[in-house]
Amino acid sequence: MTDRYFLWMAFVFYVGASALTLWRLRSERSQSSLHHINVILIVVGFLMQLVGLILRGQNLHRCPLTNPFEVTVFIVWALVLFYLVIGPSYRVSFLGAFTAPVVTFILLTGLLTATDTPHTPALKHSPWIEFHAGIGILACGALALAFVVAAMDFVQDRQLKSHHPGPTFRLLPAVEQLDVIGVRLLMLGFILLTAGMIGGAISDKIVGPWPLPKVIWAWMTWLVYAALLAARTKGNWHGRRAAMATMAAFVFLLTTYWGMSWLAR
Amino acid sequence: MNLVIVGLNHCSAPVAVRERVAFPRAQIGEATCELLGAAPVAEVAILSTCNRVEIYALAADASQAALALRRYLHTYHKLTEPIDAHLYERHNQDCIAHLLNVVCGLDSMVLGETEILGQVKDAYAAAQTAGATGAALNRLFQKAFAAAKHIRSTTAITRGSTSVANVAVELAEKIFRDLTQSTVMVIGTGAMSEATAKALRSRGAGTILVCGRDRERSGALANQLGGRAIHYDDWPVEFPKVDIVISATASPHPIVTREKLVPLMKARHNRPLFLIDIGVPRDIEVACDELENVYVYNMDDLQQIAKENLAAREREINICRELIAERVARLAEWLEERYK
Repeated sequence: MTDRYFLWMAFVFYVGASALTLWRLRSERSQSSLHHINVILIVVGFLMQLVGLILRGQNLHRCPLTNPFEVTVFIVWALVLFYLVIGPSYRVSFLGAFTAPVVTFILLTGLLTATDTPHTPALKHSPWIEFHAGIGILACGALALAFVVAAMDFVQDRQLKSHHPGPTFRLLPAVEQLDVIGVRLLMLGFILLTAGMIGGAISDKIVGPWPLPKVIWAWMTWLVYAALLAARTKGNWHGRRAAMATMAAFVFLLTTYWGMSWLAR
Repeated sequence: MNLVIVGLNHCSAPVAVRERVAFPRAQIGEATCELLGAAPVAEVAILSTCNRVEIYALAADASQAALALRRYLHTYHKLTEPIDAHLYERHNQDCIAHLLNVVCGLDSMVLGETEILGQVKDAYAAAQTAGATGAALNRLFQKAFAAAKHIRSTTAITRGSTSVANVAVELAEKIFRDLTQSTVMVIGTGAMSEATAKALRSRGAGTILVCGRDRERSGALANQLGGRAIHYDDWPVEFPKVDIVISATASPHPIVTREKLVPLMKARHNRPLFLIDIGVPRDIEVACDELENVYVYNMDDLQQIAKENLAAREREINICRELIAERVARLAEWLEERYK
């Protein structure tokens, strides 16, 4: 069984979790048993994905971060990891239900697009490169979860503003709670992003320069998130505007990454 | 052996009758023991709430037992006029179905209310303590509690508030992460604003400020709510600290306008603000709702949500009845097997 087999299996479990979400939204069911099924489906998907990544790593004899497909798969994995770590500590209801469709969509995009290109020759080994890649992926995972929380915040705000709260209203947490968690995730993501950039800059000196599009993309992403974080912590951005900006920032991160990778080819 | 209920509720008797036959909480145990001796029953439990008084019993002869229970109600409460016209009777399968409907809130004045489950649990505990329950009532009540739990979690019968005050609280809980940290300001004193403020307080709302032109009335309400009274002219000063405003003044013009709100929102760092407008004519300008992080709900909005919630509960009745019917059949079968 190849690594892609396990990644497709992971996708199937994430689709199951997403289908359950849609059903819960339609039927307004919030029982803990359904929440547990949702978590189990996501955990199994996460483990399948882990097996897929390990198999690919064994074939490559290195961490599988050699092309946009692998990076996308890793970002999804990091997002689920953060959900599994952060979700229970904040006890955010319906976080898993919102995470599943996002994970499904990003993973499907990776699996179906022609981004699984032949591997680039291995860079000269440096622990700073490993550090840069690992921390960068974790940063993307935290920022992806901030996107999920912002989407929940946006939906809940719309429910409240509509004056006729729909089925999701009772299932979602308070807008203020989502706002606080969103800012914390952004802070965490930004700290990791900054640490990853420092690792990248050091490796640049040790093993040679990074391609220019990648450097520009990294700086643009860092600046977007720095501005967003400043607006949300110092500029009193709360609610809908903050949620939309957070979602836009992550869409920017993903699309510019994919665009930059395409350009680099 | 047969199961039997004799009782009355908000549908069969007016409050004037219900209050005369209600059992004081402290006397239920004693009355239960007395009933065991006064009526030909093997097991007995008394349920007494503000909306119903019911006696559940197991007896060899259901008709004789029912007659004795009716007589007991008259004697115990020293009734001068008969209340038979208000009393209903249920036997065996109907008795089981009745209890299950009661614990699930299907027989309540407010459909799907959950308080009744606790009240039935208390009644059962009192009967158990009095040594008045046996195999039949133990099984009946325990199965009824399990049914209520199942129905609550699998249907929407208890979902959504059906009173204006509780709808407002439900909304507040979806805006603020911790109501205990929230400050509530009541502008204008009236029955509805008082009920809403009380509902918020019961869910743990932190500070309550009562603001009105009549110092005495606002002081009295503030005392009642455990809050602080402020003068009407001071509300803009306190406003930046406030998270929830309940406004119910008789002012002919809006007292909170978009123009006033913009600088106040800046002063409170754009944190969410929940404005509940109970005043007629409205106290809060409609345009305030256009502001980000400001959520304005007026009386019509709250009433509409309460109505929709009630309608949603009503749509669940048939599902609940089906779930109940399955359990009633199983329990009736068990009862028949045991006492044939």
